[in-house]
Amino acid sequence: MGTKFDFFFTMSTNSFRRTLFPCFLLLCVVPPAFAQESAAQLSGKVVTAAGQPVEYASVVLKSTRHGAVADGKGAYLLPAPAGEYTLVVSAMGYKSVEQPLSLRGRQTLRVTLEADERELDEVTVVGKSAVRQVNESAFNVVAIDAKPLHNTSMSLTHALDRISGVKIRETGGVGSRTQVALNGFSGRHIKMFMDGMPMEGFGGSFQLNNIPVSLAERIEVYKGVAPVELGADALGGAVNIVTRQLNNTYVDASYSYGSFNTHRSSLSAGHTAKSGLTLQLNAYQNYSDNSYRVKTQLLDVETGVYSREKYWVRRFHDNYHNEAVVARAGVVRKAWADRLLLSVTLSQEKADIQNANLMTIVYGGRERRARSAIPSLHYEKRNLIVPNLRLSLTATYSISRNSNLDTLARQYSWSGVYRQKSSKGEGSYSTSETDNSNFNATANLRYRWGAHYLTLNNLFSDFSRKATDAAANAETATAATFMRRTNAKNVAGLSYKLQPSDRWSALAFAKRYDVLVRGPINISTTSTTVYEEQERSFSTEGYGLGATCRLLPSLQLKASFEKSYRLPSESELFGDESLETGSAGLKPENSRNLNFNLCYNNALSKAHAVYLDLGLIYRDTKDYIRRQIEQRYGGAYYANHGQVRNFGFDVEARYFYRRAFSAGGNFTFQDIRNMEQYAVGGRKLIYYKDRMPNVPYLFGNADATYSLYDLAGKGSVLSVGYNMRYIHAFFLAWESEGGDITIPTQLSHDLTLTLSLRNGRYHIAAEAKNIADEMLYDNYSLQKPGRSFMLKIRYFFFT
Amino acid sequence: MKTSIKTQNTKTALRKSALIGCSLLTLSLAACDGKDNSDDNAVQKKGTFFLSAAGESGQYILRTDNLATGDLKISDNVRQLEQAIQTWIFNDDPSVAVGLIYQQGDPGVCLGIAVADDSTLREPVEFQITSRFTSYGFFESYALTTVGGQTPADDASRSDSATFNIIDLNNGFSRAEKSIPTLNITGNGQQATFSGIVDMGNGEFLTGLVVSQPKDASQTGGASSGDITCPDSVWVAAFDKDLTLKRIYRSDKLSYSSGRFRSQYYAQIDKADDGSVYVFSGSYESATTKPCGALKIDKNATAFNPEYYFNIEEKTDGYRFRKVWHVTGNYFMLEFYNTGKETPVTVNTAATQYGIVDMAAKTFRWVTGIPAKEQITGTGLPTAHGGKMYFPIVAEGADPAIYIIDPATAAGTKGISVSGASAISAVGRLSY
Repeated sequence: MGTKFDFFFTMSTNSFRRTLFPCFLLLCVVPPAFAQESAAQLSGKVVTAAGQPVEYASVVLKSTRHGAVADGKGAYLLPAPAGEYTLVVSAMGYKSVEQPLSLRGRQTLRVTLEADERELDEVTVVGKSAVRQVNESAFNVVAIDAKPLHNTSMSLTHALDRISGVKIRETGGVGSRTQVALNGFSGRHIKMFMDGMPMEGFGGSFQLNNIPVSLAERIEVYKGVAPVELGADALGGAVNIVTRQLNNTYVDASYSYGSFNTHRSSLSAGHTAKSGLTLQLNAYQNYSDNSYRVKTQLLDVETGVYSREKYWVRRFHDNYHNEAVVARAGVVRKAWADRLLLSVTLSQEKADIQNANLMTIVYGGRERRARSAIPSLHYEKRNLIVPNLRLSLTATYSISRNSNLDTLARQYSWSGVYRQKSSKGEGSYSTSETDNSNFNATANLRYRWGAHYLTLNNLFSDFSRKATDAAANAETATAATFMRRTNAKNVAGLSYKLQPSDRWSALAFAKRYDVLVRGPINISTTSTTVYEEQERSFSTEGYGLGATCRLLPSLQLKASFEKSYRLPSESELFGDESLETGSAGLKPENSRNLNFNLCYNNALSKAHAVYLDLGLIYRDTKDYIRRQIEQRYGGAYYANHGQVRNFGFDVEARYFYRRAFSAGGNFTFQDIRNMEQYAVGGRKLIYYKDRMPNVPYLFGNADATYSLYDLAGKGSVLSVGYNMRYIHAFFLAWESEGGDITIPTQLSHDLTLTLSLRNGRYHIAAEAKNIADEMLYDNYSLQKPGRSFMLKIRYFFFT
Repeated sequence: MKTSIKTQNTKTALRKSALIGCSLLTLSLAACDGKDNSDDNAVQKKGTFFLSAAGESGQYILRTDNLATGDLKISDNVRQLEQAIQTWIFNDDPSVAVGLIYQQGDPGVCLGIAVADDSTLREPVEFQITSRFTSYGFFESYALTTVGGQTPADDASRSDSATFNIIDLNNGFSRAEKSIPTLNITGNGQQATFSGIVDMGNGEFLTGLVVSQPKDASQTGGASSGDITCPDSVWVAAFDKDLTLKRIYRSDKLSYSSGRFRSQYYAQIDKADDGSVYVFSGSYESATTKPCGALKIDKNATAFNPEYYFNIEEKTDGYRFRKVWHVTGNYFMLEFYNTGKETPVTVNTAATQYGIVDMAAKTFRWVTGIPAKEQITGTGLPTAHGGKMYFPIVAEGADPAIYIIDPATAAGTKGISVSGASAISAVGRLSY
């Protein structure tokens, strides 16, 4: 650890050391009392001319390190030594206010900001948006503002893919299966949240790969260490999508059309009456034939033999469409509730399945469908009973049905011709349906007194899964296939944060995980299987620490640590269903996650600004739960085995020239290696210290935007954007095994041209993706679309 | 053709020539056959061993001329496979390795591999099978796979079809597919699942029948067969190459002839060198009253040999077997469950002990010289060559190795191992 500190100490200026020293103390222990130089304090509210609160305004004493950020209701609290100051209050979209301030004792001040029609006229230190607030927390977190992406036709996954450390792996075009990988972790190790609620059980029709980015206000990616508010056994980090919930009257409507007969449209509208009644509606739709070309071997359906040569063919059975509506209604700003919202999300999707996990296996009739209904209730109250006590309660119930249809008695070739088979099913005959239901309830209580913040969070989730159509499920099904499986989980978290000033903060938290699973298990003592529903429980505790300090006003150091867990799933606790004995002695998968970040954010002059973020991560993950098959035991069982170490870094850099030009990029390198020397039975592993196979480890993005103002009339903006993605080749299997299959190095380029008129009311955007028509693969064999074009029109109105 | 190759890059050119080579392969093999017949012993076929080895994350093919000495590393592999082939079967004439795969409801991209004159492996031929298989074997110049409990294309209410893939080894691995109804095939209103394929050499093949109640999909979904209500009878069917049922062999001396493990139906029927077929039964069903043993069908006979019955169970202290492989002459190797008579066999009962039976002398010996049954974590598909059995075994803490078993003494000796592999899933011999 010392070496990492030495790295920072090499930048030795006196002031640097002075501020650095207490910061490092904080990493180890929170000092019992932090010397405060004065008792003076300024508090109050930042409001608009109409008296509406200005969210997250920055309240700063000029030329000092003293500053604060107003909360979502415009309230701020700024402790500082008594003295003469110049107060600067600023917020995005408003003209900054500067005024002299003579601070003595406890003072209150109401600041009124005027709207600035020409926002971001030049580079200024703007108000701390929620995005910036999240980014400056002690966690290794990246929050991106989704709003600048609202003119694109992106889904949430594509927006995520631009974040350092994140790699999205898609199997095809619009609506295709998508995996989010975060610093080498993926699948069960990463948890997805929407507004703090787990997205488990939402069904395939309401997922990151089909939700348009315009539904989001921002996207937060917690790398490794997750705050207690995101209550889950997220070993490898968490992604939280914060949806757009404006408290004014607005309409945002868009339609886009492009290559492969792709249509997308979305409509958001909302109105909040003076009485506090609020209504919001989000609806969107995606449709695509995904008829892009791929290069693959051709099958002669009559002989069943493949060609050796590869040919370009067009996808012919990959139609995808999905539709969703999110409706919210409720009241805000009541004495008994700051916010009480009832919302319902209804969604459905239908996807043709063109190929299996190898592109050589092609289908002409298989499809999957999903639909879900998600009612949800949210309650929020500030100053509950006592000032600064905030309670929020959310309950979500989701029911989803996923079906898989394989009914044709045909064998297809990529040319679209088929042969009649003698039995039903292109793969295996199925009209299977699976019902999932998921109940989540979270309670969050926050209390602030002075510089102390206490958060108590509890998440209860109950997941149930049942296959419903016994007659026609996959033929390898057993009686157990149709039995219910449930997984009830409770994650309680307690967090304490000390933030005496904007300069430094420290936090410590603990989480307690409990899980109760129910599912079928074979209890037979004869050659016929007999299943019985059984129950097992599991619990464990985790903890974490974090600290941040501002070494200079523009330089922030962050450190965080968490001992995190992933609890065993029901199949892991029960073992394979055919086993008599489950693995009761299983431990949870666990990881020690250590993060350091150094962020530099500075306006060099009125014209130039730079942003730099260096993140170092260390992950030591142990006790992977692995399925073992041993003939001497007659089948499979689960055991804790394996250790993987990841040492990596993410770098992000960005440069702004006035409001006209910005360029930046991020680069991720993760050295993820197997540190297990022996197999379960003691056999030496040849791949000790090998890089993890089939995991991208070197990748990055770069982008640049140039904007011209008032070219097409006053209030117009014409922007040209460029985006580049790079991914270095990686092996499919452990390198030491001597295989030669790799996923190749890829470089792709996108261009966008956006014209916004009438101060952002009308937008026209043209996108060209993968302009070099590269052959792109996130997964072995599964080719993604080549060059494509998209045109989007958008209307946005708000008051 | 030369001019076209010139314009292509090396890799394509190589592939193309491999393709030409492969299509010529069948011709050259046919020519070889002709030579053999007209000029006895004139050409002694050379051969090499083909090993399929699993790493932790990939599957590989290795090749060696010697299984007795000369340890290999998994990185010595000559090819990484796109998918984990489940089953390799090896045919003598034409000499090919056929890799079969079918999983997770998807058709399988199977491989056909032959050896070139310089003993290197030819570029595999890839072919697709669209149905699952629970049993497989060779018949004439075809590789056959079969699965029961299928829904016929024209009647979604039934699920008694047996679907065959018929892979023509002499015609570039081209595949035909055919389903036949099995309801009432045995005349008792029940359906059948086929287990094992044995070429009779007279245009017919034999297969063991697992006769069950028609599968009621609405109750259990899944497995190929329904409830077993006649556990005390054994049936064998003879089919011709059009899958026309020629006759049924039946006896009440044994339970059905098939080893069960999850969805698999292991063959318990195989042919001795003299052409007689031994029909084994490992008495898997808990409800059967029959001990495990074997019956015999003499070459070209249309009924069981009434004189022949071998009660194997009484020679094995009550241990029952689930897999059967022919070694040489009248010797067969059996895979036994690890628990004896006192503990009933369940779907999860382990089977890691081995014995050799001499079917003519009706003698039995446990195999010695291999790891103890509680040490064996996995085994692969063995191959018989030169009167010996070459058997892949993984013992706890050791690299997977080939054990060479002499059937006359039932003694095994350790041959080569493959370091870095987690298993040798199959070994076979290919000639060229």
